[in-house]
Amino acid sequence: MDKLLRNKKAIAVFIAPAFILFTLVLFIPVIQVVYYSFCEYGSLTKPEFIGFDNYIKLFTEDQTMLIALKNSFFFMIFSVISQQIIGLLLAVLLTNIKKGRNFFKNIYYLPCVLSSAALGLLWAFLFNPKMGINQILATVGIKGPLWLSDVSGFICLPMWVIAFVALWQYVGQNMMLYMAQIMNISTDIYEASYIDGASKVKAFFYVTLPLIKPMMITSISLNCIGSLKFFDLVYNMTQGGPNHNSEVLATHLYQQGFKYFKYGYSSAIAVILLILCLLVTFIINKCIKIDNYEM
Amino acid sequence: MKKKFILALLSTSILTTLLGGCKVSTDTGSNASNGKTETAATETTSEATGNEEEITWMFWDDLNATEDLITKGYKDVIDRFNEEYKGKYHVNVITTNLEEYDTKLNALVAANNTPDVFICNPGPNLTQYVESGVAQDLTDILKNEESEWYGTFNDGIFERITYDDKIMAIPTCFAAACVFYNTEIFDKAGVQPPETFDEMLDVCQKIKDAGYAPISCSASTAWCLSMVAGYLCDREGGPDNLEGITNGTLDWTSESFVKAATDLKELSQYFQETAVGDSNDQATANFYNGEAGMLVQGSWAIGQINGNNPEFEDKCGVFRFPAIEGGADPNRMIVKTDNLVMSSKTEHKDACIALMKEFTNETSQKYVAEIGGKIPVTNVEIDYSKAPKQLSYIQDILKDTTGTFGFYNESLASVEAGDTFDNAMVEVFLGSATPEQAVQKIQDYYDKNVRK
Repeated sequence: MDKLLRNKKAIAVFIAPAFILFTLVLFIPVIQVVYYSFCEYGSLTKPEFIGFDNYIKLFTEDQTMLIALKNSFFFMIFSVISQQIIGLLLAVLLTNIKKGRNFFKNIYYLPCVLSSAALGLLWAFLFNPKMGINQILATVGIKGPLWLSDVSGFICLPMWVIAFVALWQYVGQNMMLYMAQIMNISTDIYEASYIDGASKVKAFFYVTLPLIKPMMITSISLNCIGSLKFFDLVYNMTQGGPNHNSEVLATHLYQQGFKYFKYGYSSAIAVILLILCLLVTFIINKCIKIDNYEM
Repeated sequence: MKKKFILALLSTSILTTLLGGCKVSTDTGSNASNGKTETAATETTSEATGNEEEITWMFWDDLNATEDLITKGYKDVIDRFNEEYKGKYHVNVITTNLEEYDTKLNALVAANNTPDVFICNPGPNLTQYVESGVAQDLTDILKNEESEWYGTFNDGIFERITYDDKIMAIPTCFAAACVFYNTEIFDKAGVQPPETFDEMLDVCQKIKDAGYAPISCSASTAWCLSMVAGYLCDREGGPDNLEGITNGTLDWTSESFVKAATDLKELSQYFQETAVGDSNDQATANFYNGEAGMLVQGSWAIGQINGNNPEFEDKCGVFRFPAIEGGADPNRMIVKTDNLVMSSKTEHKDACIALMKEFTNETSQKYVAEIGGKIPVTNVEIDYSKAPKQLSYIQDILKDTTGTFGFYNESLASVEAGDTFDNAMVEVFLGSATPEQAVQKIQDYYDKNVRK
């Protein structure tokens, strides 16, 4: 095997399929998008180079872009905090129970495998003023708010609602990642800590947490990137409305591209999104330091 | 050996799955047409035998799930077409909901998968397909090849779909926007249909006092609110307003538009509580379910109202949008046609023309009026005793009409300009902008994008 891996031709043959696929479906389109972002391009006409005009317009004239940026950042921060804490908590709880572990694991993970379009529609029905939650509240004399329509506040209610639904849907994913990592930790380490007088809580902070740091970086990175480019639930529940108040970067991009045929402009939004994702990943990797331990 | 066998089996199954994912569906029975990738649901009303020329038609409502009578009529048209041309032509239908129609159609156009025939609103939507060469010029077909068919259309019906003397679409029906009202609620509140805007506010207050929502309107589907705003703009300033905006001789910040936005703010306090979140369908349902006194809508709503609640027809009255005292001519009406556009890239022109003729033949046009409650586009004889009552009320209003105009958002410089108008009006309703700020936003858009 080692001999084979020293053969450069063999390496090239092994890498080639993935490299070609990666170049065709990712690398070339990314370069194209970057180029289009500097053009006025309506998809039906030829791209016309206009320099940084799209970017200047995005940040100086486009009010919806500012709303989308605000909402995307809110969504990212909310998702990271809530999904990481609850996901980790669930993972710790489930690894510590013997009976029903698989049952609860499947229950918590189930929303992850369901279609976001179907879930978006389901929750949109539940939060509709004429059906669902408000009807239940009305039976006990409480007038429910307009969950998906109230535009008051710096972060409007629909964004909180969507963030809550996303938490419900994706917390299982974080739980699974942490569970996999926690279950890899040797029980000897825990036993040693208990002999040294550590309680379960202390063992969590001084044994579990340091040892799951690598997974924490992966999980937080995935969470941040997923939140920044989040599209499906927003589109299915509010379509960015009312009046663009729940617009996020991906829905704004979609609207500019497919509704107004402004492919150059929407490419500029895509580039901003790409830069933000890279930036966030870089910051996370810089901020969380990993010490190598033997597990 | 056993391991190798399992490995081979797994590899084969993975390869089969991967290759299966790449295949192009030719199953026309439920979801796709030949060689076309579709982002929307595809329906067909009967099976193609495989020998026919197949074409696609894209529409903004579900032909099978709908209760809308006009859509049901369109389903009949497709059924008849597929039956009549069995063995020769076959049409597959791509459907999507109204809110997502333009985006999905644009995605298909951008992917070079333009449906052979698709429905389209007049105004900037059609303009973008005309300017980009997506729409086929039908002038020669209509005036020379099919002059008999052309002769059946009513005068002036092609006006808003003609560009530089080129006819770019075929209208299928014609609708006018009015105020529908619930006669029972009006009786309970002791009010009569208002003639002026001030009377309308008074009527709204009395209906509110009687315990009903005075007006059902959707701000979530912005064009519904924008239609009310469009009427107010025209009632304040008349045709000069839209002409001035188009010609660049009038600014959005002029007194007339500020007044219209202020009127909208005043009127919108009488919308149902859930107006901000209700879709167009929900707002219409509030009305035919007897929860609201009035509904400002196009006559396409007749099919929806009567289809969903047939008993409502007897208590549904119609009046013209009220006048504004000191304003412009109150006898102008918002009208629009549903139009069929033929793709310039279609390889099945004859089949497309046959389909468009099916939509405008005597049977289809009679259905449009007598069942659907919309106004036909051809000179077909209509038995108004069979038609919904609301249609005859609208015909009465149309007799006094001195002029017509399109939806404001469909009469502006571009789809985005129309959306800017819609959004500004929604902001007035939400209170997130004053009337002055709202019209300033539209003006800013025009300064930067239209009059640059």
